[in-house]
Amino acid sequence: MIMSRNRALSPAARKIFAFLAGNGQAWSHGYELCRQAKVKSGTLYPLLIRLEAQGYLEAEWQPPTEPGRPPRHAYRLTEAGHRLASEVAAQPLPIQPQTRSESFA
Amino acid sequence: VNPAPIKHFARVIALLAIRIMPPEIRQWGIAMRYEVEIIERADRAVMFAFGCLAFACRQALIFYVLRPALLTVGATSFTIQEASMMNLQNNLLQHPQRIGAICGILATGLGLVYMGIAGAPVSYLAMNISALLIGFLLAGIVALIARSGQLRAGTASLALGTILLLTSLFGIEAGGATRWISLGGVALQPGLIILPVVAISFAACRDALSTASLILASLAVAIQPDRAMSGALAAGMLTLTLIKPDRHSLIATGAASCGFMATMLQVDIQPAMPYVDQILYSSFDVHPLAGMAVLAGASLMILPSVIGRLYDSDQQHIFAVFGVVWLSIIVAAALGNYPTPLVGYGGSAIIGYFVSLIALPKRASPERLDTRETAVITKERDQHNLCLGLSYSN
Repeated sequence: MIMSRNRALSPAARKIFAFLAGNGQAWSHGYELCRQAKVKSGTLYPLLIRLEAQGYLEAEWQPPTEPGRPPRHAYRLTEAGHRLASEVAAQPLPIQPQTRSESFA
Repeated sequence: VNPAPIKHFARVIALLAIRIMPPEIRQWGIAMRYEVEIIERADRAVMFAFGCLAFACRQALIFYVLRPALLTVGATSFTIQEASMMNLQNNLLQHPQRIGAICGILATGLGLVYMGIAGAPVSYLAMNISALLIGFLLAGIVALIARSGQLRAGTASLALGTILLLTSLFGIEAGGATRWISLGGVALQPGLIILPVVAISFAACRDALSTASLILASLAVAIQPDRAMSGALAAGMLTLTLIKPDRHSLIATGAASCGFMATMLQVDIQPAMPYVDQILYSSFDVHPLAGMAVLAGASLMILPSVIGRLYDSDQQHIFAVFGVVWLSIIVAAALGNYPTPLVGYGGSAIIGYFVSLIALPKRASPERLDTRETAVITKERDQHNLCLGLSYSN
């Protein structure tokens, strides 16, 4: 499959991308991402799933660090993800819907 | 407060989300469930779990409802089938106005089926077809003007609100209500044409002018009085405030609610018109097929809102207002003697529906990474992407 390219990422997606990129090769977890990027879980997970499906994100199950704690799903950007993150960071912010809708169409 | 029961509630919500999720992404549901376990504060765990549940519901709708509805039955090549679905998804599902136009045409067509079965005069059918064409034409003209940059939403909205108010003051009076104007001998109800587009464009762009327009529109339908349109406006504005609370939406909700209350305090004794009012019930008395046509047509009117909300989380408030306004008009028609939009006789609602589509986003902009054309698409990847609502754009 030819790898995809980004277009007009939402602010939430940019924040998640920036956080994951900033983490480098370190793994991040869902709740931590929600808090750091200030997005809701209902916004975060669709994005993670898409990133993973498109090869930008690596996900793995990590065993519990303490007894009685559950295993955790951890995420980090792949090489392609890091490249895309750099592109995203260099792009201007997308036009917000409110401004775009100002002339009805 | 003991946090244990609240934490347990969060677990239950997360488990429910796993149950609802399509099989392909269930492992993500398990990941969410374990995250809930990690979150120290019970209230935050509940909020997190609710977010997961909302996501699960969206995915379930796509996977179990939308996907089967789109799949072509009996095709021999699954891959080609999926690819064509991708095109459909790409070309149609991301264009809310196109979806709305198709739904509007189908709903009007189903209305014609109902009227045909019910033995309505041919002139009624001709009127609805004419309204369909006029609505399409009008929407196209307004869209072209808007694209040229000559039409500002706030100014246009204020002009429409003023027209509505003028109708209430100087329009045609019948049975104690002043809701109509005569245009070339044809009676039109401007409220049905103007109010939905005013409400939806307000959701898209809230400024001082459009807020003033909302206040004018609320006043206009309160004076008429028109409980159906007033209720639809109040419901739409309340929905908007719940999703996007700000100063403008709060003022609009206040004005629309006051207007609705004013209509409830006034007498509204419009008699039921055949083929126009109360047809959600009476159509089933005519013939089960007629009833099904009316029901299906009414449901189709709301479909753009459902699809839009699924595909565009950034602008879901606009789709929500669209859906709530038109649903309220349908519900009002079921409860009282108000016109049943599109599926019943009456051109105003048909024109109004198509005009209101202009206020929808031209293109859905979900939080996604769009992809360019793919050379080789594997069946598994297609399935996965489809269930996630991904699109492949050129």
